[in-house]
Amino acid sequence: MVSQFPRSNFFRKVADWRRAGCPIHRSPRALPGSNQARAPITSLTHQMLACLWFIAAGIFTSSCLAPHAGAATVDATLDRDSVPAGNGALLSLTITGNRVGQIQLPEVENLIIQGRDQSRQIQMNAGQTIVSLTCTYAVGSNTPGTYQIPPIAVSIDGQQLTTKPLTLKVLDAAAAQAPTPSGAPPAAGQAPDTSGKRFGFLTVELLIKDRNYLYVGEIAPVGIRAWLPEDSRAQLRSGIQPEGKAFTLHNVSERPQQGTEIKDGKRYTVITWYGGISATKAGKYPASLSLDATVAVRDTSAPKPRRRNGGPFDDPLFDSMMDRFNTPMIQEDVTLKSDDEEIEVRSLPTAGRPDGFTGAVGDFKFESADIPASWKTGEPQQISASLSGSGNFALLGAPTIVPPDAWKIYPGKSDLTPRDAAAFSASKRFQFSAVARKGGKQDVTLSFSFFDPAAAAYKTLTTSPKPVTVSGADLVDVQTNTPTVAPEPAKPKDPLVGQHSALTPVASLAPLVARPEFTRLLALGATLCVLGQALAWLRRRRTDPARLAQAKMEMATREALQAAANCADRRDVAGFFEAARRAIQLRLGALWNQPAPAITLAEISARIPAESPVARFFHEADLSAYGRHAADDRLPHWRSLLAEALASLTPSAG
Amino acid sequence: MNRPLRLAACLLLLGSTPLHAAASSTLEQANQRFAAGEYADAVTAYKQLLTSEGPRASVLYNLGNSYQRLGQYGPAILAYERARLLTPRDPDLLANLALARQAAAAFEETRRNPRIDALLYHFSRHEWSWLVVGSALLLGGLAGLCGVLGLPRRGWRNGALTAAALASLALMTGATALYLRGDEAALGIVLSATAGVRLSPFDKAEVLGSPGAGRSVRLGATSGAFHYVEVPGTSLRGWMADTEVTAIFP
Repeated sequence: MVSQFPRSNFFRKVADWRRAGCPIHRSPRALPGSNQARAPITSLTHQMLACLWFIAAGIFTSSCLAPHAGAATVDATLDRDSVPAGNGALLSLTITGNRVGQIQLPEVENLIIQGRDQSRQIQMNAGQTIVSLTCTYAVGSNTPGTYQIPPIAVSIDGQQLTTKPLTLKVLDAAAAQAPTPSGAPPAAGQAPDTSGKRFGFLTVELLIKDRNYLYVGEIAPVGIRAWLPEDSRAQLRSGIQPEGKAFTLHNVSERPQQGTEIKDGKRYTVITWYGGISATKAGKYPASLSLDATVAVRDTSAPKPRRRNGGPFDDPLFDSMMDRFNTPMIQEDVTLKSDDEEIEVRSLPTAGRPDGFTGAVGDFKFESADIPASWKTGEPQQISASLSGSGNFALLGAPTIVPPDAWKIYPGKSDLTPRDAAAFSASKRFQFSAVARKGGKQDVTLSFSFFDPAAAAYKTLTTSPKPVTVSGADLVDVQTNTPTVAPEPAKPKDPLVGQHSALTPVASLAPLVARPEFTRLLALGATLCVLGQALAWLRRRRTDPARLAQAKMEMATREALQAAANCADRRDVAGFFEAARRAIQLRLGALWNQPAPAITLAEISARIPAESPVARFFHEADLSAYGRHAADDRLPHWRSLLAEALASLTPSAG
Repeated sequence: MNRPLRLAACLLLLGSTPLHAAASSTLEQANQRFAAGEYADAVTAYKQLLTSEGPRASVLYNLGNSYQRLGQYGPAILAYERARLLTPRDPDLLANLALARQAAAAFEETRRNPRIDALLYHFSRHEWSWLVVGSALLLGGLAGLCGVLGLPRRGWRNGALTAAALASLALMTGATALYLRGDEAALGIVLSATAGVRLSPFDKAEVLGSPGAGRSVRLGATSGAFHYVEVPGTSLRGWMADTEVTAIFP
């Protein structure tokens, strides 16, 4: 039977064209009731499509010639499971392999498959070229029902590969979607929404495995999803709020995930938060949540502009695309709400409830326990324990010590370390003080109880026994002889800690770092550092032995030179040479790092060239001392030679 | 020389005692109003005390409690945050602040490791500042001492080196803490649940979203009666009227 599309002539034409002989698509079997002698395609658009198919065939051929070493695969996927009648889903056929041959699309009664697009990707990896081809098709029907798309056969590399079969549900157009404009091709989300959720809605989903209920006090993970129509624009104006008082939301993730999903044949942008939900009373309550948002959607009910028939763009596909752009947006401040789906809350069983049960519901375990080994009666010591797991850590109390009558426990503190963003999984460390009341040796354990919702039973965990030694005498319980008074019913505790009555001193709210004093004080510290360093440098310089020795040598040299000058003034040649020689020896001693008196003419002759002023001066001194009588008329010459010799011995002269 | 100083100290003491007594009396009266359930009157009295005396941690804390009783979580969180600047480790304050945040669903984003945050927020920025300044002054003092005395004994030298190492460590820790908490100087608290972040600094500008009462926001430039705000952890940013958001540091 040939499918009938009274409003979709495009589908009919494409179907006719495929039957008339698509260059690639060859039906494996004849259409029931098909007419092979139908008129050929005359529309210019369809000719263009035919050209596209030929181009596609060319691409196939070229891909066959490309070097390829990857394994041949073929895969088919539908982008949605269901579509309203008259609309279409997108079928993607991905082919990887060399020499792609014929693609055999199966024929399904009342189901029309329309070629849309194809693309080719070439990947070069480690010298191998992998070519993959993706062909997309619009698949739809005007007749509601569930359609099985048989495996699609593709010839690749000479072998015949097939895809897995697919199922597409075509929904009743009246229920799912209003009729599309005449001749419009399958496309999702084009009809005006008559369900009252035109601007979107919320859904709440319990994320507990194998359960659709929760227990009182249990923080059950939930996924909260805001479904916004595709192409809409939304700005959230509030956080997610519970509508009723039955449930409390906990730790809703601040950074939601965003994606696109199909629901009832309509495409939505879905924003997903994760959090926890808990209830304090048993029963069935609607899990109603709300979210204020400003949403702008396309007004599909707006009148469409009239189009001229004929011409190159007289095509429903083109018209649909233009309609999409021309549709005006309408914006409203709305409150997105979830359906009042009821969630069952079960009370915790009273049977088998342990004495030390504090209301913890979840799955917990001991991570560590630290109990001191030596105790003295009456003296408190600290016990610490770590518990980890998932559940309502707020009601997870400190573990009790066993045997309880031998110990007195004082309230301690606890630290919670979340292990995920919503704090479902965490570890809690308890630290509390205990006093041993009985002396002697005993085995001590820590114990705590919780309700395991998965097992629907209470569980009590105990650490391995720790032998402890308690010195001192047993403590007498002073309360044992006091008359027992019936305990008053506990009042609900006010969580708000009360007022402070002591007047604290007036202080500036601006921290020191924000005041100019901060910079000044830092500058003072830096100045002190610099001053201290400078003083230390001066101190080191003043006590430096090398520097002191240098100064001493300079002083002695100056004295010797002064003596030489005095002798020269008195015409005392011998005294002049003695003083001058001492001055040169002192300077040489400092240079050569040896005692000045030990420096002889022989050493000077060996280490200093004979033509140097020092050697010449010593030579003159020796001649004057041992060779002949001194001629005092040469004193000016010797004085200038001395000056030259000393100048040559300055450190810079080397 | 000491006589005028002693006289001035006595006069200061004599002058401050009646002031302190008056402040204590006002605080007591405000607390009585709170206990009687007259929270709005208590708010007025606490605010009066803050205006006349200056910021006190106990008064700010009590003011926060009064606001919380009135269900005004934005101003309550603001008062608690200001009290936290003065007494960062007050367990009552931290408990009530957490309670207010929970009631207002104004949860703060945890950006760092919880242990690092616990260390960073154990001290106020004021205390961290003093740690930095104290360490710098200690280092300077040690350097000066070394310069003046020379520390001839080996024991003194080792002690000075140890103290300098500890001071350097404290200086670096404090400076790091101040750096990591540097953006707090520009933090503000949204006062009203309906406060909207607008696209432009005008009353009729499009509202982009509402962060919610008690939410911490980063304050930027001002334009007229509007602050540019960024809501941490979200992409929401725009202009907010200064009647709807107040800086923690006034």
